This record gives sequence, C-alpha cells and structure tokens, in this order.
Amino acid sequence: MTLLSKKHIDYVVNLNSEMSKQSYEHWLSEHLRMNGLYWGIMTLVTLKSLDSLPRQSIIDFVLSCVDKRSGGFGAYPQHDGHILSTLSAVQILSILGALDELDKESVIKFTKNLQLPNGSFQGDSFGETDTRFVYTALSILSILEGLEEELVNKSLDYLKQCENFDGAYGMRPGAESHGAQVFTVIASFAICNRLDLVNDKLSSWLSERQVKNGGLNGRPEKLPDVCYSWWILSPLAILKKLKWIDLSKLEQFILDCQDDEGGVSDRKGNQTDVYHTCFSLTGLSIINDELYEGNKYDMDSIDPVYCMPYSATKTFKPWPYKS
Amino acid sequence: MWHNVKKQTLSSEARLAKIERDKEKIHSYNKLKDEIFKIRNEGSHTVEFLNKLTDLLGLNPEFYTIWNIRRETLSSLFHQHQLDSQSTLEDELKFVMVLMKRYPKCYWIWNHRLWCLFQLGKDANWEFELGIVSKLLSMDERNFHGWQYRRVVIENLETHDDLENLKINLQEFKFTSSKVNSNISNFSAWHNRSKLIPKVYHLVGKLNYQDEPLFQSKESLLLHELTLVNTGMYVDIDDSSIWVYLEWLLSDCFFIDELSNDKYHDILNDQLKIINELNDLEITDNGKDNCWCLKAMIIINELLDNRSAVRPLLEKLIDIDPLRRGRYIDQLDSF
Repeated sequence: MTLLSKKHIDYVVNLNSEMSKQSYEHWLSEHLRMNGLYWGIMTLVTLKSLDSLPRQSIIDFVLSCVDKRSGGFGAYPQHDGHILSTLSAVQILSILGALDELDKESVIKFTKNLQLPNGSFQGDSFGETDTRFVYTALSILSILEGLEEELVNKSLDYLKQCENFDGAYGMRPGAESHGAQVFTVIASFAICNRLDLVNDKLSSWLSERQVKNGGLNGRPEKLPDVCYSWWILSPLAILKKLKWIDLSKLEQFILDCQDDEGGVSDRKGNQTDVYHTCFSLTGLSIINDELYEGNKYDMDSIDPVYCMPYSATKTFKPWPYKS
Repeated sequence: MWHNVKKQTLSSEARLAKIERDKEKIHSYNKLKDEIFKIRNEGSHTVEFLNKLTDLLGLNPEFYTIWNIRRETLSSLFHQHQLDSQSTLEDELKFVMVLMKRYPKCYWIWNHRLWCLFQLGKDANWEFELGIVSKLLSMDERNFHGWQYRRVVIENLETHDDLENLKINLQEFKFTSSKVNSNISNFSAWHNRSKLIPKVYHLVGKLNYQDEPLFQSKESLLLHELTLVNTGMYVDIDDSSIWVYLEWLLSDCFFIDELSNDKYHDILNDQLKIINELNDLEITDNGKDNCWCLKAMIIINELLDNRSAVRPLLEKLIDIDPLRRGRYIDQLDSF
C-alpha cells in the first residue's frame, strides 16, 4: 500500500465540515477539540499541507478557549482549563508562529501552580496526577521559556520514582510500565537535558514492543496499536536506537492501517480517528528520515521530543538556560 | 479516539436515517449543555442543577468540565447544609458505578469516584472498593485503570498497624498468585507481585512474623518464584511476561545482595541448565532455537561473567529474531 496523503489531508480538513457537524458524535467530542485540532494540525504539518486550514480562524478558536478563571486553556470555549488542552493550545500557536498572541505569564503561572510538593503535576485543580502531566507541564514551560531549576529537579525526582524493574515507566510510582508513559518520561529527560538518567534496560524493553506483524504494542502480551508508532518510536529516536526494531515492517504496518477514504485506525480495518492518524504519520515521518533520508515520502521532519516540526522547535531555548 | 472498533460502512439510506435521528439528539444535548453553562455562570448551586448534570454525564461522561461543575456544586451544597454529605456521597458512588459499568476506560469517572471517597473520609468503605475492583479485574484482567485503582484502594486500607498492613499485602500477594495461575500472560499481576514481594518481606522481618514460611528468607522466596517461572516457561515458552520477570528475579539487588557468591552462581547455573534443556526441546520439536531462551541465556551468562558464551548466542539471535537484528548487531559490536 502507498501513502494516501491527499486522502488524509481531506480527512483532516473535513473533520470540522458541516457534514461532520450533522453527527451526534461530533458534539460529544468537544472535550477533545483542542487536542483534536493539534492532532489534525500535526497530520497536516507532517504532510506539508498546513495551509489547507485557515490560519487566522485557528488562532481565533484557540484564543477563544482561554479559561480566564484558571489562566489555562480549555478544550472548547467555556470548558475549564486543563493542562492537556493547554499544551495543545501552546503547541498550535507555536507551530503557527503566533505565540505572541498568548498571555505567556498567565499560562506559565497556571502550569507551575499545578505542581505538587512530591514533584508530580495535577491535570487541573481537581487533583488527578500522572506522569503524562509532568511531561505536559515541562513541554509547555520549555516552549514558553518558563522552566526553573527547582521545578525541574522536583519533576525529575518524581519521574525517577516511576521507573520499574524492566527499565520502563508507569503512570505513577508503583504502576506498571506502559509505552505512552515511556515517551513522556524520556521526552521529559530530554527537555531537562538529563538523558543520563535512562536505565540501560529501556532500549531493549522498547525493542520488545515490536510484534510479528511489525506493529508495536504498549505493554507485554498486548495487541499492537498504530499510535505506538509514535509513543515507542520517538523514545527510540531520542535514545538513537531506531535500528533496534525493524522499521520497514513497522512502515508496512502503518500503511496497512490506512483507510481508503483517508485517516488511520488503531489496526487494519478499524474505525479511523484523528488521534491515530496523527501519531501514525508522525511515526512514519521518523521512519522516512531514518531509512530513506527523508526522500521516500513527501513529509516534514518531526522532533521526537515535542511532536512538533523542527522548524518550530529549533527556536526553543535549551535547558539549562544561560543567564 | 476509537480503540478496537471495526469500521462500519453505512448505506446512503442508513446514513441519512442516522442524520435524521441525530438531529433531535444534537438539539437536546446542546440545549442541556447551554443551560448548564448558563446556570454555572450565574453561580447558582441547587439540587435541580445536580439533576441536569446527572443527565448530561449520562450522555457524555468524558465531558470533564461537567464533572468539575458537579464537584463545585456538591461542595457548595454541603457547605450550605442543603444536602447531607454522607448520604449524598453514597448515592453519588452508586451513580458513578452505573457509569463505570458502561465506560470502564473513562479516566474522569475513576477520578470522580476517588473524589467522593476522599470526601467521605473515615466513612469511606474501602473494603467495598476492593470488592468492586476485584470483580472488574476478573472481567478485564489487564485493565490499567483497574490495577491503578486497586493500588490506591490498598494504600487507603493500610493503617499505622504493621500487622494489619502485612495481612492486607499478603492478601494482595495471594491475589497476584491466583491471577498468574489462571493466566501466565497477565503481566500486570507479575508487575504488582514485584512490588509486593519486598514490601511483604520487610514487614515480615519487622514483626518477626512466623506464620508465612515463604517469606522467612529471601533465598526461599527466590527459589519459590523461580519454580513458578520455570513452570510458566513450559506452559507457554513464548510468553514475554515470564521472561521479563525472570530477569528481575536473577538480577535485582533485593534477592542477590544477601546471597553468598557460591549460592548465587549455583542458582544462575541451575537456571541456565533448565533453559538449555527447554531450548533443546524446542530444537527437537520446531527445528530451531527459541528466542526467549537465547535472550535469557545471554542475561545469565553476563551475570556469570561468561562473556565468551554470549557472542554465539547473539549471532544466532540475528538469524532467528530478525525484528531486533539491529539491537543484536549493536550488542555484538560492543564486545
């Protein structure tokens, strides 16, 4: 199967069409709209087609989701600020070169206030904690140049406690290792310039995630899912161990998960969505760079630490900041 | 996000019929949502408002803002003594339970359940929660939320009484035994076991508790676990869970630090022999080596400092496990 770029672009552009607004499911997913917009934009960026969406309307929408009470972004106008939608909003504005439109101080304050004394982060003021949120916070602060030494050190201490005997990481101390959590921890270490903290066993654990059909799973003895083409592949890229799995077989697995009508699903023949579309194509872009020097598919290169194009991330100030 | 849902292709008639059906649903959903935001902005917290929130969450439990509004409203009603907090929170737990059965993978529902329990404080019935989560894990044995929730429940059952805590954690250890005995591939149970063993051992030592022979020494514990894993290898040689667990048993300082060097080497050599025999059986049956056996032999030989034995094993793996060829080549190069 070949890469159905044009179909995927149309698929993303149509996600907000009048036709999709006729479906009840469209309205039920407002709580994911900001993330969904980021996933859609990343799909288009990867396929070098960002101009298929109207830039100013996107910026207007993002800014309309500011939750004035918390200082963060909600997923949709009137929704409460949450760290996950705040990262998506910041990423979108950064990709569009529109960070100046943002009240940076207020977002930095919102994010910092979510850190707990043990170093973990809450998603919002109601207290759920997760290694995902530590990454989310560090990524927001890194993009906005708001990292601070104490916050970084406490975050790192917490993440270290989430390491398990297999060298991988769980969502909290004591929790089972999971592929998506590994991405968040390794990318956090990369943001904090502390990849020396990685356990030697981790790369082997990551390579064991590839199953016979070429796809990657998130935990031992689970089915493969195309989204791990990002969650597992990006830490391998950060650790410079991409050769530790069979990238050609993964490439084939990703292509097979495409739907003829555009979009990608978790496994071949299943229902597509923009989340799986984004993380399969960003993963494919890593393969395109590693195996084919960027020449097989007409794709932009994606930074494995931020899941954003290098054109945006190259301007981020590396940590530790020089005074 | 869709997981594990087969693609549905609707005929054009069916699609039009769905659009027609959805019209009414969209209308009433949006009407309810708009009403809720309007009331919220007015800052009005009433029991009737709670009912509206119940309706909306029944339609869409992923709508996190509505959960937040619900907690704000409940807190405010408790504060104004308009509702009795204990009986309301108990009803709330029943409402959450109905949703959990329909949406077992929704983060926000689990989160709200915990909020209710923490609000109940000393009146929270964590024993009951343990029963619920055991039932959930019997239906969906790898459910990530379920295992996480179980650990939180245990933390809350624990007290300042070490003996009580020992009993709770021993019971948890036995729970993982029953899980791996019914399905050796349940890595979630193996994982939890790896966290429980040091904890129980520590408590047994602290209390000088004699009733659990298994936990009297690290060596007996290690040998017991190795027997379990060795049995597992014969049940399903290609199950990755047991091999990951084996590596932990043979290399973690919890077990090793107190073993004499000779004893440790004996154990490693015994395992090497068992795995070699198993691999020979595989060669007889399937005509080739087994990847997991070879990988385990590499780990053990490295622990024994038998570096010369590792190279031929890596060379074999390059042939029989082509997915990870690059890893073995890198490892060979590092010699």
